Amino acid sequence: MVTLEHYLILSALLFCVGIFGLLTRRNAVGVLMSIELMFNSANINFIAFSKFITPEALTGQIFAIFVITIAAAEATVGLAIVVLMYRNFNAVNVDKINFMKW
Amino acid sequence: MQIELSLLSPQLFLLLWAILVFVVDFFTAERNKASLAYLSIIGLVLTAIISISSKQGETFGGSFRADTFGLSFNIIFLGSAILTVASAVDYVKAHLKHQGEFYGLILLSTVGMMFLSASGDLLTLYVSLELATISLFVLAAYMKSDLKSTEAGLKYLILGAASSAILLYGISLLYGISGTLVLDAIALKLSQMPTVGPLFILSIVMIIAGLSFKLAAVPFHMWCPDVYEGAPTPVTAYLSVASKAAGLAALIRIFFKSLASTSMQWVPLLMAISAMAMILGNVVAVRQHNIKRLLAYSSIAQIGYILVGFIAVSELAVTSIILYVLAYMFANIGAFMVVIAFYNVSGSDDIMAYAGLSKRSPFLAISMVVFLLSLVGIPPMAGFIGKFYLFSAAIEKGYYWIVVLGVLTSVISLYYYMSIAYQMYFKTGDDDSPVRVSPTMAVALVVALAGTLLIGVYTQPVLSAISGASSAFF
Amino acid sequence: MFSSDFPILSVITYLPLIGVLLILMIDKEKVGAIRIVALLTAAINFLFSLPLFFACDPSTAAFQFTEHVPWIPELGISYFFGIDGISMLMVILTTFLTPLAIWASFGSITEKVKGYMISFLILETGMLGVFVSLDLILFFVFWEAMLFPMYFIIGIWGGPRRIYATVKFVLFTMIGSALMLIAIIYLYYLNYQNTNIPTFNLELLQSSQFPIPINIQMWLFAAFALAFAIKVPMFPFHTWLPDAHVEAPTAGSVILAAVLLKMGAYGFLRFCLPLFPQAASEFTPLISILAIVGIIYGAMMAFVQKDVKSLVAYSSVSHLGFVMLGIFTFNIQGLQGGILQMINHGISTGGLFLIVGMLYERRHTRMIGDFGGLAKVVPVFSVMFMIITLSSIGLPGTNGFVGEFLILLGAFKSNMVYAVLAATGVVLAAVYMLWMFQRVIFGQVDKKENETLLDLNLREKLILIPLIALIFFIGIYPKPILSRMETSVKNLTAIVQQKFRVEEDNHKIRIISGTPMDKISLNEVGEQKNE
Repeated sequence: MVTLEHYLILSALLFCVGIFGLLTRRNAVGVLMSIELMFNSANINFIAFSKFITPEALTGQIFAIFVITIAAAEATVGLAIVVLMYRNFNAVNVDKINFMKW
Repeated sequence: MQIELSLLSPQLFLLLWAILVFVVDFFTAERNKASLAYLSIIGLVLTAIISISSKQGETFGGSFRADTFGLSFNIIFLGSAILTVASAVDYVKAHLKHQGEFYGLILLSTVGMMFLSASGDLLTLYVSLELATISLFVLAAYMKSDLKSTEAGLKYLILGAASSAILLYGISLLYGISGTLVLDAIALKLSQMPTVGPLFILSIVMIIAGLSFKLAAVPFHMWCPDVYEGAPTPVTAYLSVASKAAGLAALIRIFFKSLASTSMQWVPLLMAISAMAMILGNVVAVRQHNIKRLLAYSSIAQIGYILVGFIAVSELAVTSIILYVLAYMFANIGAFMVVIAFYNVSGSDDIMAYAGLSKRSPFLAISMVVFLLSLVGIPPMAGFIGKFYLFSAAIEKGYYWIVVLGVLTSVISLYYYMSIAYQMYFKTGDDDSPVRVSPTMAVALVVALAGTLLIGVYTQPVLSAISGASSAFF
Repeated sequence: MFSSDFPILSVITYLPLIGVLLILMIDKEKVGAIRIVALLTAAINFLFSLPLFFACDPSTAAFQFTEHVPWIPELGISYFFGIDGISMLMVILTTFLTPLAIWASFGSITEKVKGYMISFLILETGMLGVFVSLDLILFFVFWEAMLFPMYFIIGIWGGPRRIYATVKFVLFTMIGSALMLIAIIYLYYLNYQNTNIPTFNLELLQSSQFPIPINIQMWLFAAFALAFAIKVPMFPFHTWLPDAHVEAPTAGSVILAAVLLKMGAYGFLRFCLPLFPQAASEFTPLISILAIVGIIYGAMMAFVQKDVKSLVAYSSVSHLGFVMLGIFTFNIQGLQGGILQMINHGISTGGLFLIVGMLYERRHTRMIGDFGGLAKVVPVFSVMFMIITLSSIGLPGTNGFVGEFLILLGAFKSNMVYAVLAATGVVLAAVYMLWMFQRVIFGQVDKKENETLLDLNLREKLILIPLIALIFFIGIYPKPILSRMETSVKNLTAIVQQKFRVEEDNHKIRIISGTPMDKISLNEVGEQKNE
């Protein structure tokens, strides 16, 4: 029997993987993907809570759909900026981009 | 469910106007693009008029609420957008391509913020926060061939997206605990719970962390100086005021409405953030040589002051934050306007380059002094009344040490703000040529000066206008 | 003299701003016109304020010429102006010295005259506002607002180390006033939560039904006192003063010494004593000792100075020590002496700074060693210098004598040891002043540059003559001034001593209230008992 806890643990793990990738990845596209993981871990939460806590209302699932849309928008803008960065710096490695101190 | 679209009229009107700006952009010759700025200003002013005159209420089952609180913040967003656009005209013409989209994106971001301040549930709040922020990602990277601007865009994007993911995770936990997204219902649910669990604490911490990124509060401020330095200056001005105000509106909506009953859990956390922001912002600002970085650190410190009022969680806290943000809007955008006007002529953001500005343009120099003094909180500028209210709110609730910290760090801030005045007035530069200020910029500067001085001297009308704002919470 | 609803205090306070507007309209090249407008504005303001001296009713301690308009009613902040016998004198001192200072800078300020005159007139508004405000927030607004014109006056038109001096001046003052703001807000809530009256009105807070517990009084007193002590300045917060004085342009030094320092002492009189009388009595030994240390330390430091201007600056520290000692005797003689000495110090030290400025304009040096034998070259200058020096020492017949005598009299009444120690300061003052005077004025003219010095011109004579007239007038016939402050001073001592009594009677009478007149009669009864 898969319970709420299982979903929460999964999403927590996914979130941690996302944070880990965000901090360790040097490739800008990899960083963006890690952020996507974090978004999706939250989505798992929403859907799990929706199923177990408020089964009669679909609030959480609706929220997840919105998040997918927003994540897509964010990724679009993100990739555009990565392309810009590739043009200007000729690199996609975030370490190279350090004109101003972090 | 009765849906009253008329309550949304300011937001919808501005959204349509933003689309209008994009469309008109297609049919405008390159040399006439500046007229789009004036078109945008007209739209923003009309929206402000509509906001003030439209009625209040809530619709979409409480997801959208037009109240005095939202209206006050809308005026702040619209005001900063108007001042930003007005100050940007020459800068955009000289340094940026795709002028029409620039103004359109600012309008879109403003629309997002206006939805945010009116949101009654976490979904609306989150989506509108993203609408506001994603437009700003693009704007930060708007100087396409400029390396610093690209870097600013990238940093802002990565940290902004990551913070919004953290915020989202916090929201999902809060949803799991309370079983609802509507702010009122969450408050009700939480007040019925006898104790709060570790999951709840985790969710609050994540929400605070996510929103602190938007506010650029310590320890989530790392992006702020770089983005402020790299982004086009009008965007920096807008970021430093409107985006922070939006974060505050979200923070107040969530914490004063839904989480007020658990204030014992999160007030210490915010107090610590406030103290760190005031100390770090002010101390690090002392060592800056680039005026945009200096203002970035000062804006971190300003958030610290605002949080001093925030932790009081009282009617006075709401009033004081709105009042202060209003004063901060005029002063901070005003200071950035001087930076823009000076950059347009000299092409430099170095504080040393300001040497002798009092001779080159007495108007710019004295305006800068007035804005900086307002940021310190020296009477009779608006910043004084604002800080006075913030500190009063905290003292009313007995938070003395943080107020002491606040005033002492204000003295530090006086020191570095004075270093700018020192360059402008006490030094003489190599270049003696007068700095010309364009008429649009001059009008915008006069408006900001008038706002700074009038609110400081004649505060009563503003106070009575925002007096109803706290009724949304208490 | 004035119809009761004529807002004379507002007119006096804001008249300089009208001058500022006029100057703004003048082209910055027309230096002459700018100077004339500034001088006329200040002079007209003096004429406006002069009638206050005669119209101010000496028989009551209540505030007069009051103007009361709500400003931010939610928090009980009001636009509340009013004067009593003490602040009236300070207002007139300010309006009297400002035109003289502006006139004195005709010769020395030749660069950026427009900005200078604007700063000076804004400064005058700030100073007057401080003396006439009776609402704590309004007071604070003027107190802070006055800082920045002074910042620019020292920083732009000052001497070689002006930046250091002006930044130090502003930061010192800000730290003090920042803590005072917290104390003001705290006091407001303390009063509000206990009496349910939201107010920053000084009169209402003073007559509040809620007696502030002594431990809280101590904290509040300390916060207010720090702000004022830095301004006075009292030892050990005086270090900004010599720097600021030495680097400021002449007129800046005059105003700094004559008016700005008085704000500190005035703050003690107006706010610290009436609001926190018990704490004041607890702090009396500390403040008296610091005042005496200041008297002797200032004198010692003045003794070793080589620069005339810094000698005068350190003599200020010493004189202000006398003022503080007088105020904290809490008897009528001491307080009257202290207030009179505030005015005297304004006249004589202001005069000394003017003299030093005139000397500097001629020789571009202020070192004592560069002068000598000036009496032969510039006789008129020397005579005026001598009169002002003697007044600063406190020779009988000059104003300084009356003030110091009253202070010492008051000090003898309250504490013999203090009086004896302070009296050594009088002796030291005579030594360092006369020694400096002798080295500058008498002896042989041994420097060639000094042989061709020009004597005072008409403008300079006209600036100094009013000061000298006042020196003798107050020295010989101080009664008009003393009588005008008498009732207010009596009222002040009454408030302080009444609260003492409350303390002594072990809270038998918990609340003292009523009109000031009641307090006076109560106090007179008390005084007879004491005698």
